[in-house]
Amino acid sequence: MDAQVDWVVIPLLVVLLGAIFSFQFSLLVGDWDFWMDWRDRRYWPLITPLVMVTLPAVFGYAFWRLVRLPLGGTLSILAFTLMAWVSRYLNFHEFAGFPMNFVVPSTHIAIGLMIDCILLLTRSFFFTGIFAGFLSGLLLWPLNWPLFAPYMVPVEMQGTLMTVADVMGFEYIRTAMPEYVRIIEESTLRTFGDAVTPLTAVFAAFLTVMAYWFWVWVGSLAFRLKWLQKVV
Amino acid sequence: MKFITKLFAVIQTLIVVGVAFSAQLAYAHGEKAQQPALRMRTVHWFDLELSTAKLDVNEILVVKGRFIPSESWPHHVASIEDGSAFLNIGVPGPSFVRLETRINGTPGIRSTTFKRGERYDFVVTLKARTPGRYHLHPIVNVKDAGPMIGPGLWVEVGGTQADFQNSIKTLLGQELDLETYGFAHSVGWSVAWIALGLLWFGYWLTKIPLIMPRFRRVSALGENADDMITARDRMVALGVLLVTLMLIVGGYIYANERWPITTPLQTGKVDTAVLEREPSPVMVRMDDARYRIPGRSFRIALTVTNHGSSPLSIGEFASGGLRFINAAVQQVKPRDADDLVASDALRVEGGPIQPGKTQQIVIYADDAMWETQRMTTMISSPDAVVAGMLFFFDAKGRRYPVEISGPMIPLFGGY
Repeated sequence: MDAQVDWVVIPLLVVLLGAIFSFQFSLLVGDWDFWMDWRDRRYWPLITPLVMVTLPAVFGYAFWRLVRLPLGGTLSILAFTLMAWVSRYLNFHEFAGFPMNFVVPSTHIAIGLMIDCILLLTRSFFFTGIFAGFLSGLLLWPLNWPLFAPYMVPVEMQGTLMTVADVMGFEYIRTAMPEYVRIIEESTLRTFGDAVTPLTAVFAAFLTVMAYWFWVWVGSLAFRLKWLQKVV
Repeated sequence: MKFITKLFAVIQTLIVVGVAFSAQLAYAHGEKAQQPALRMRTVHWFDLELSTAKLDVNEILVVKGRFIPSESWPHHVASIEDGSAFLNIGVPGPSFVRLETRINGTPGIRSTTFKRGERYDFVVTLKARTPGRYHLHPIVNVKDAGPMIGPGLWVEVGGTQADFQNSIKTLLGQELDLETYGFAHSVGWSVAWIALGLLWFGYWLTKIPLIMPRFRRVSALGENADDMITARDRMVALGVLLVTLMLIVGGYIYANERWPITTPLQTGKVDTAVLEREPSPVMVRMDDARYRIPGRSFRIALTVTNHGSSPLSIGEFASGGLRFINAAVQQVKPRDADDLVASDALRVEGGPIQPGKTQQIVIYADDAMWETQRMTTMISSPDAVVAGMLFFFDAKGRRYPVEISGPMIPLFGGY
């Protein structure tokens, strides 16, 4: 009977986590992660980890508190990743007609793995925030660099320097998305010797630590709700 | 209860079936939905030409035209001069790829601004990608104001998309197929991470039954629930964590070695060149504009001064994407069923304007297009000001476009 509960609940959880995560990610990151020519080295690595630790923190707290399972991060990001691939293929490629290489999802599963493994090893949300939160912000760009680097190769177009991703953004027409809509780096961090990505990563890392703690606290609030206590 | 449930089920089914069968395919880009003031007082489009109306996948389509940002640009609409603007093409998705955009000779890759009252000649080179029939519009997107849609023309693309080719050459000399470049690599990398995630998930699934027994144990152990974590769990977690970190670092080093030369995403604004203004012999003042609702008739009284040496005739009034032609001066036929040209809908009283004279002219633009293109809602605008382009022609056929604008008074039937 207990095993049957698992076979019903776990698939439902995967679908539910994937759906919630996809909705939340589309709202808060959205175009930054939909298009290859939006994933810049300043805003994308700052925004994405902050959003990426939200549900792993909330659900991670619940999984740990209720069943001592360090799966909240990996499971939610894994479910989100699978849904992202389905969405990019069906919505962006099949329905809207964009080539898959222009809308390929980024990879974030390492963040879930770091959160879960460090939670298990430290058994502390505080230290998970310190280590896993910091690493999530710090390593998101290197984690995705193998995906992005091929698209950052320089190209000349009409006498203008572009990246391959910029060329794709220009060529594959998005009627409702003019060039200026992209919120990407427009100038370097001049006083820091042009080190945009490392500085962004460190800043994102500190913010992600706090974001993780905040969302764990939000997750803990749910357990103070009387009606939820009755349910579980 | 059962009856109500069945009733709701029947109603739901009827709604779904009704919507499914009554919905029409969307071919256009909502130009009729824009309020008339926006259409009349933002961007005046003219001389739109397509190199062909029928082509195959991989063939080139050149879109040429001109536009003038209105001097009467509404103050409540974000400015085309101060913010950002971008010349775009309105087609359903990437049915074409855009190879080049030139505006007055300036590349239109990046965002820019356009000056009110100046003329911009554009050339957009497209390559057909997806077979189908498309209503193609030029568009100027204006930051915080939205798209200012130009006239549309139908284009039919034949062939098969599988034949489409789109390659570029990088500054490092590589030839890339943009349709597929990097995708296999992305899939491989993503699959590696998904596999590692599944490995961690799978490790815990091996402990099934999982949820209920662990929940009971956590409840029983209380503060000591951490005792449920075994040494093996810790070893596996440590191993997965190390593999994760090594894969991140290794992937980063690999990518840097494989693509050693990269550049950040490029953006920024460009200054679009302004054409030298051609001398115009005509000065126009709009004295009065009245739209008569029952007759769908726009009557505009003008004071026109001709400083030139040749008589001037009004051959066309264009406003909000609608063209009203004076057939006595020029012959213009619609190029397809949705080309918004009224070939003989402009009457002119008081012309031609003789050289050196100032004359009172009245024009009547009468056509059902005012109604069918939802321009009549201008009578309910909170800012009842209209604008449009008048095209004067001299005896040699030279054309002089002039913008007119001013308040509009609606005339209601029977009053």
